[in-house]
This record gives sequence, C-alpha cells and structure tokens, in this order.
Amino acid sequence: MSILALDNRQDLQRRVINIVGEQGFIVIFALWALYLTLNTDNFATTNNAFTVLRQAAVIGIVAIGAHFIILLGDIDLSSAATLTLCGVIMAKLMVQEDYAPLLAGIVTIGVGVLIGLINGLIITGMKINSIITTLGTSSVLGGLALRQTSGKTIAGDQIDAIEFLSRERLLNNNIPLPVIIMFVLYLAAFIILRRTRFGAHVFAVGNNARAAWLSGINTNLVKVMAYMLAGGLSAFGGIMQVARQGTATGTMGGDFLFPILTAVVLGGASLSGGRGKVFNTLIAAIFLTTITNGMVLLGYDINTQRIVSGGILIVALSLDRVRTLLL
Amino acid sequence: MSFLRIENLSKTYIAVQALKGVSFEVQRGHTHALVGENGAGKSTLIKILSGAERADSGRIWMDGKPYHPHNPKDALDANVSTIYQIFNLMPDRSIMHNMLVGKEPHRGGVLDIQTMRQETHRVLEALNASHLKPEMTVGLLKVGEKQIIEIAKALLNQSQLMIMDEPTSALNQTEVDALFKTIALLKERGVTILYVSHRLEEIFQIADSITVLRDGTHISTRPIHEVTRDSLVEDMIGRKLSSVFPPRAPSNPDAEEVMRVENLSVGRVLHTISFNLRKGEVLAVAGLSGSGKTELGKALYGDLRLSAGKITLKGQPYRPSPWKAIHRQLICLPEDRKADGVIQGLPIRRNITLSVLKQISTAGFLNLKKERQLAGEQIQALEIKTPHMDQEVSNLSGGNQQKVALAKCLAVHPEIFILMEPTQGIDVGVKFEIYQFIADQTTQGRSVLLISSELPEILGLSHRVLVMHEGRIVAELDTSTTTQEEILRYALGEELTITDVRSNKIHE
Repeated sequence: MSILALDNRQDLQRRVINIVGEQGFIVIFALWALYLTLNTDNFATTNNAFTVLRQAAVIGIVAIGAHFIILLGDIDLSSAATLTLCGVIMAKLMVQEDYAPLLAGIVTIGVGVLIGLINGLIITGMKINSIITTLGTSSVLGGLALRQTSGKTIAGDQIDAIEFLSRERLLNNNIPLPVIIMFVLYLAAFIILRRTRFGAHVFAVGNNARAAWLSGINTNLVKVMAYMLAGGLSAFGGIMQVARQGTATGTMGGDFLFPILTAVVLGGASLSGGRGKVFNTLIAAIFLTTITNGMVLLGYDINTQRIVSGGILIVALSLDRVRTLLL
Repeated sequence: MSFLRIENLSKTYIAVQALKGVSFEVQRGHTHALVGENGAGKSTLIKILSGAERADSGRIWMDGKPYHPHNPKDALDANVSTIYQIFNLMPDRSIMHNMLVGKEPHRGGVLDIQTMRQETHRVLEALNASHLKPEMTVGLLKVGEKQIIEIAKALLNQSQLMIMDEPTSALNQTEVDALFKTIALLKERGVTILYVSHRLEEIFQIADSITVLRDGTHISTRPIHEVTRDSLVEDMIGRKLSSVFPPRAPSNPDAEEVMRVENLSVGRVLHTISFNLRKGEVLAVAGLSGSGKTELGKALYGDLRLSAGKITLKGQPYRPSPWKAIHRQLICLPEDRKADGVIQGLPIRRNITLSVLKQISTAGFLNLKKERQLAGEQIQALEIKTPHMDQEVSNLSGGNQQKVALAKCLAVHPEIFILMEPTQGIDVGVKFEIYQFIADQTTQGRSVLLISSELPEILGLSHRVLVMHEGRIVAELDTSTTTQEEILRYALGEELTITDVRSNKIHE
C-alpha cells in the first residue's frame, strides 16, 4: 500500500516536472500576455490578436519543417535561406517570366523540396553532420538569392495576384487566411506525426536511429523525406512572405532562422531528437511573435527585442535541461 | 578479527527494496567474492561501500571503526577504492598524470616531473608492470593495461580495501591472467579485495571466501573450499539446477534446412564460416569474447558487411539487411538490449509494433486499435509486467525490457531467431521464462541460432554447438555428447593445454 502511494507521488512529481519542462513556456507566455494586457491599450483586442497570428504564420509554417528535423535529432540551418531563395524565385517567375500564380507556386515548392532532397542526400549519403551540411547549403542558397536579385527589390503588379494569401479573411470575413492555413498545416503535421507510419518512423529514428534501423526501418529514407518536407514548407513560407510584402529581396528571410528554431526548442522539443509536441511549437511561434508585437506596443526598438528573444531562448533551454536532470 | 563488518544493511529505492538487512564479514587480506544474479543487490552494496549511495539503515565497520561514507571522497579518504568496469582515466594524458591527478608533487606550483616519474614507476614495479612507462599515453594502452593503471592508482592512494566490479568483463584471457597476478601481489601487500563477478570459474581461481546475495538478502558467506560450483549456483538462483532448463524438443537430423551459410567472411573478423540450421533446432554458437560469435550474428542480420560468402534461407538466396531479414522471417535479438534492442523513449506498444507498422496501417495511416490489440497480445503472451502499454520502455526493469525486445521479434512472425546473449544481465526469474520461450518456439517448428557466452545455457538449450575461435568455426559438437570442458578447450584453441584451475572447477 505504502509502496503504491510512493509510486503515485513519484509519478505525479515526474508529471509536474515534465509539464514545467515541456510547457513551462506557456506559463511565461501567460504572464507576458497578462503584463501586456495591463500595460498597453491595444494588446488584448481581437484586431491585435489577428495581427499577431498573421505575423506568426510564416514563421509558424516553416517551424513545422524544423520541428520534423529536430525530432530526428538534426538541425536545419538552411530553412531561412530556402525561404529567401524560394521567395525570390516565386516573385521572379511571376514578375519577369509571367507565370500564372499557381504554376509559379508549384515550381517554387518544387525547388524547396529539391533543396531538402539535396540536404537529405548529403546528410545521409555522406554521413555529414546536419549542422555543417545545412550551414553550407544555407550559405550557398543565400548567395544564390542575392545573385538572383542583384541586390534589388523585385516588385510588380503581378504579385497582387497572390496578395489574398496574406490579406483574405474567411469565415464571415473574420479570420485571416494565413492564420487558417497555418492551423490547417499544424493539424496535418499532428496527424502525420501521430497517426501515420512516416510519423512513427520519425519518432523511432529520432529516439534511436540504430535500433530503428535494426527494426527494419529505412532510416535514411525517413530522414531524406523529412528534409524534403521541410524544404517544401520553407518554400511555401517564402511564397507567404512574398504575398505579405508584395515584393521579394535577397535578404527577405534574414531574420527568420532564429525565431524558426527558437519556436521548436521553446515548444519543448528535445534537441537530441525523439521528443516534441507539434502544437507546442505552434504556441511557441505565437509567443515569439507576441514578444515582438508587445515590445512594439511598449515602445521598444528592434535591438531590445532581439535581446529579449535571445534571453527567452536561453530560459527555454534551461527548462529542458532541468527536466532531463530531474527525471 | 574481521576487516570489514556489515550489519543489517538495508536500502530501498522507489518501490524496490534492493538490500534487506544484509550482514556479513570480510577477513583482512582476503580476496572476498561477492556473487548473485542481477537484482541480487550487489551493485547497491558496492555503491554504499564506495560512497555513491547511502544506506537507509544498518551499520558498517572497517578496521574496527564505523565506516559510513557520505560521498566517494569519504570512501577514498578511508582508503577504499572502487575499480569500475568503465575506467575513470584521462585518455590523452600520460600514465603518471593519471595516477597522480589531484595530488601532483610540485615545487611552488611547478610540477615536479622527476618525483612524479619515480612514484609512478615505484608502484608499477610493485605490481610487476614495469613494462608500462610513466610517460605512456593512457589512451593508447590496451583495456587490461588500463585496468592495471586503475589498480596502481588505488595502490598509490594506499587503499586498504579495493572493490572490483566485474573487472574481467572486457578482458581477454592473457589480460585476465595478468590481472590475477596483480591481485596476488595486492594480497601479499595485505590489501583486502571485494571481488564482484558473474564468472564463477574466476572466483574459484582467486577468491578466499565468498558471499552470495539473492533478491537483496544475504544467503551465505563461506570459505571457498566449502563451496562447489553447483552449490554456489543453487545458492544464487534459489532452486535445484536440474529444474533450470525446460525439456527440449527432440533433435531431428532429417528436418528441413531453413538456413545455409557457405564460406561467409567479414574482413578480419570472420573467416569462411559454413553451417546449416534445421527447422525446430536450437543451434548454439559458443566462443570467448573476440572469437567472432557476436560478429557472426551481426553479419547474418546485415549489421556487418560481408566480404564473401553465400547465405540461403529455405533454398532462396539472401543478402543480409534488417528489412530483408524481417521480410524473410528472420529476426535478430541484438546483444545490447538497452541501446539496440528497444527504443527507450517510445511506449511499449510502439516498440512491439515497430517492425510491423506496415501490417497495422492502411495507405500509410496507422490503425491504433490494431496496434493496441497486437501489443496487448504480446504483452500477455510474454507476461510483460507493466501497468500500461503506453509506458515508456525506459520505465521497465531490464528483464521486462528484454521481454519487450522479444515481443518485438515475435511480432514479425519469424521462422528463424538469432538470439544474441538473450539472458545477459537479466534476473533469474525472467531467465527461466526466456529459456521456456526458446523451448516453446522450437516445439512450434521455429529455429534458433543461440549466440551465448553462458556454457550452461548452451548445454541446457541447444541441439548442436558451433565453437568459434579467432573468427573461425573450430568445432561442431552434438550437445547430448559434449561437455563444458570440451567446448572450452575448442574455444581456447586446441593447441592450448588446459592446466588452469578454471576448467577443472567447471566440471567438478
């Protein structure tokens, strides 16, 4: 009897630590939201909420791909550069080549998937560490994007045709389309991770690639597919960003890498792989956007925003560490 | 008077009482063996003596004085050193830097290299190991030599009690012999040694007295000459030896051949291996560590690249890889259960179904209901003890983890099992269940390639034994007519005459 009670208490303790470790950022998020509600006039308004969600959409969508890669125990540093290059390609195809928006979109996403394929093949085929590989491809892609634009902004009326991706509101003209797209993609990612064979393989490989391989799983294929998915999502993020800005530049994704990776880590996904909840990544992406949003409302400049965002990441990582130490 | 006296020592971890009022005494200068199955409480006792854990109750006296270390440093200060299976050495530093770490002789902050060299040399010489020079880099030494360095370090610290935890587990025969000579030298110097080992032969070779623990309780402490191998094993497992192994299915030399291996070679570790496996047969592979028996299992499952050779399964050619193997109903239970056999962070149910996810999914979507049903059946069949199939495997005991690994194998409905060290590090109860599992499977017409370091297990379960030595099969023996002695003779290489005590003791 007493042993059982002890067991339950231990269990409860574990659960609390797990929640604080994995979801502790939600507590910080809530405190931050409360602070902003009390100290600004505009934070807690429907309008601002949708603004935040719309701003979060691009980062949130690309973070889905980063979430898959981090679940595998890898890191993709090329997502922001892929986003930039694909945004540039999308804009160029529409403005300079007069492609129909749908065709341009398909080609652009194809390029993103191809970039993912190349990343995946280098990492699995040559067994090069993912950080080094994607650091390399990131530099290549960033360079290509700058060369494609020759440092100029690509703009033109043709881009208006995809403006709806950013501006349109659905459901009684209420909810912005990008927000709906983001939620739908997260739901799809959740279903893939929890209900499909591919998702099960991602978790298995991320937990223990060797044991997964010995269980008959083609671990290289799983990795390559995840990189292709991440590449495609980065490309889609690029399209969304072009739709939002109405233009494309060779540096348009420059500030995105940090929030993309931070969203996943802040959401509690373990950097060693195999552990993470995709909806927590979504909440974290929204949280990160409220930091920027709130700092603007409070009247701070971009430099201060960066300092705070960086601090938040460190705190999040500390929570992850606390969890592994205590369990 | 006894040197070490342990009285009524108890320790409880969450829900598990690891030590239940253990009392015994160790005489000064004795090499005292501590044996018991996994879960018997040996590790807990060692942890308490070395200061890594604290007992809940009970008392310890050393040299007549109370000894209750709060941390490893207390233990060291009381001249107690522990030599673990994994060494705490700095591989990139020299022997003398390793041995004198933290107490380097110096003059005003400048290292006194001369004294360091002399001190180190003096101790190494005392251990008859002067071929090891103080300047040598530790990382370049062989495993056995590293162990000598650990012991030398302990001697330099003037340890009165040395605890050796499975010191020979990673050593080859020559290194074991060297270690035993070192232990003899330590004995001459009056050092008391608490020697923990699974290898009973070794214990008969070097121990003066022996303590048996089982399920956290003290069973016996006796001088070695009062103990026989059989009485020892019976003390350890708590039942008569004759009831250990289930009856095996009768051997049928005319049974269908399910696997044929011809001239299989792998780099420098396996040379022209040929054998066949018949339906319903347990074919054991015996050999010392380094003989290639582990590599053979890995090669057959695609975990090592073949450099030559042909394998056929039921007459059809087979190129080893895990997924092809599973497709052809060949499954391998890996040797390293914790790292390779199961995936710690996944729930039990997913571990069991991992190799058969295709069967429980339609168009890539998993049918979780089918998964639960399949996992539930296996959990019941193998009597895996868990409150819930959604528990992470990491929460299970070693034996239950091994059952999950077996359940995972069973889920693919294999015709051939390659079982690598299936009972290594597993407590007695589960061991019997695994023996029963093997017997049941073969009765149902499945075949087992049993790769094992446990000779009693090989003799108790198999129909035939392949003995390996230096990457070759040196003998194929019929289990019903062979003996441990014969197997060991082949395993050691035939040209060796066996004069050491271990082989005699095995067959007493």
